Amino acid sequence: MSETRFKTVRNLPPDHLLGTGTAMCAGCGGLEALHQIYDILGEKTVFINAAGCMTLLAVYPFTPFRGSWLYTAMASAPAGAQGVRDALDILLERGRMTAAEDLQTVVLTGDGAAYGMGLSATSGAIERGLDFLYICYDNEGYGNTGQQTSGATPHGAGTATNKGALGYPGDKKDLFAIWAAHRPAYVATVIGAEPLDLARKVEQAMQLTGPRLILALAPCPTGWGFDPDATVQLGKLAVETGVWPLKESRGGKTMHTKVPKKRLPVEDYLKCQGRFAHLFVPERKDSVLLEIQAKIDAYWGAVECHGAVDP
Amino acid sequence: MKTASRILGTAFFLEGFEVQDAPRYGAERRGAPISAYVRASHREIKERGIIRDPSLVIVADETLVPMPAAGVFLGLSAQTMLLIHSREAPEVWRDRLNVEGPIRTLSPPGEDRDRLAWRHIGTVCAAAGARLVGVVSREALAASLKQELAGLNAASLEENLDHARWAYDLMEPGQGRVAPGRWLSAEAFPRPEWVDLQYEDARVAAPAIHAAMTSEQVETGLWRTRRPVIDPAHCKRCWWLCSTYCPDSAIRVDESGRPQIDYAHCKGCMVCVAQCPNHAIDMIPERVEPNAAMAGKDS
Ligand SMILES: Cc1ncc(C[n+]2csc(CCOP(=O)(O)OP(=O)(O)O)c2C)c(N)n1
Ligand code: SF4
Repeated sequence: MSETRFKTVRNLPPDHLLGTGTAMCAGCGGLEALHQIYDILGEKTVFINAAGCMTLLAVYPFTPFRGSWLYTAMASAPAGAQGVRDALDILLERGRMTAAEDLQTVVLTGDGAAYGMGLSATSGAIERGLDFLYICYDNEGYGNTGQQTSGATPHGAGTATNKGALGYPGDKKDLFAIWAAHRPAYVATVIGAEPLDLARKVEQAMQLTGPRLILALAPCPTGWGFDPDATVQLGKLAVETGVWPLKESRGGKTMHTKVPKKRLPVEDYLKCQGRFAHLFVPERKDSVLLEIQAKIDAYWGAVECHGAVDP
Repeated sequence: MKTASRILGTAFFLEGFEVQDAPRYGAERRGAPISAYVRASHREIKERGIIRDPSLVIVADETLVPMPAAGVFLGLSAQTMLLIHSREAPEVWRDRLNVEGPIRTLSPPGEDRDRLAWRHIGTVCAAAGARLVGVVSREALAASLKQELAGLNAASLEENLDHARWAYDLMEPGQGRVAPGRWLSAEAFPRPEWVDLQYEDARVAAPAIHAAMTSEQVETGLWRTRRPVIDPAHCKRCWWLCSTYCPDSAIRVDESGRPQIDYAHCKGCMVCVAQCPNHAIDMIPERVEPNAAMAGKDS
């Protein structure tokens, strides 16, 4: 792995590129991750944004970006990225743009698009080896339309479409594994609560060409039911309880970048969120809690068995 | 406010009225302004959409008054009663707003100025409105609350009922003072002002934005209910923390390494307060002094 310019938090960019004044909720964990990612990506980017909360970033005539932004239908951001990349390549080829003026093609979508509606377009783009970076801010539901269940909703979470006593009966899809199975250039999970780990991964991704995924868990005060001031605290808990493994995959090898030394019980993470309240009141649903804990333990058991590097 | 409109709407319904009630969202975001409306009539209501000539406008949050997106003055006339949830006297508001119609204020109970403590504001506004229109009985209001707040536990419902009674009683002097709206026939409806747009080349017609960071013109600082204040004496200038965690990039670091909060845009999420390891950021209730707010300034 190449030298990182982010050795300590002191190396994080002190200047922020993303404009203020956006319509994202106060305390939005997705916006937190996006601004940190943008600070490292820099201004020479074109964002291709599928419908979701973040499409409200650029509502005419307002934009927080310093460069271009294109809106696409929910399922089509990777197809939009293909068009933008092709157009840039043609301009380069015809000498109408210098290599120094080239832009990075960056897809930005929520989990509803990334794990579900847009998966086919994504798979196709990876197959074609499209040179693009895909940022998914994963708020584990269709946030913009009122937090309905998505393919990223975790087991047991209450959503607008799973209001029952046990929440969502399914399991969160493993988008990291789905991407990694395509053998793309790079796949990584990040979270705004761990900005140094995030910065190194974005830096890595920028040094590679081809399809690259940055998958950010995005604590969402509105959809998850917690006070906006707890966004970072909850993000840290997601890492420390092992709910959100921080890892990256290159050349078929997966490496965990932060292995919690002593994992906290998952309850610590669940009990501060309204979407899991039904697991604690009116009575504790021990069987569900044990099931969630057992799945996390099994995941980390396998990681520990292989070492943090998974062949 | 969506719930307030439902409470008032259902109360009207229980009194035998035909009713419409609906919320109106702008940006569907925490902290963004929201309004809702209620129409009630003994005749079939054929009107649709937002109310163009309201009989009563209730403002739950006085800081919305100067915010154009909140549309507080939409269709206000000399016949419209304006009820503002505010400690300021009606005369003060009359001077400030220069409106002709009757103004009443509903002073929030207690000394607490932290707006997060106003948990029953929806109920309070609905109950006050019910008294002012004069045709909703105490019983219908209570029955409506029980129906609309059925999801709450018994203690919360009781708290809401208490607040409703308080507001209903408080508005007694204004009972029935709301003038019923005019009955609009389709003919009297203003014709839409169509503007013919010619088809233009996509390069001209597409809503393209040609400048960077124009979002900075949107003052999301108005969303704040609490204000983070950095105490320079305790700030250890470990600048990266608050400035990196702030979701909105609203904390900038100056040349001397001091973080500066951009109050025009800080939404008041308090992530910085929760994360500062030196506890150098205090949290105080937001007080937009109405005069400053009127001038479009953030105090
Ligand atoms: C094909 C299609 N179906 C439905 C919608 C309506 N819609 C707009 S945003 C949204 C939610 C998107 O969820 P996600 O991708 O998770 O992003 P988030 O809103 O959480 O940011 C939906 C369903 C749409 N724009 N396109
Ligand atoms: S709903 Fe959630 S993800 Fe969407 S803007 Fe609000 S906090 Fe962010």
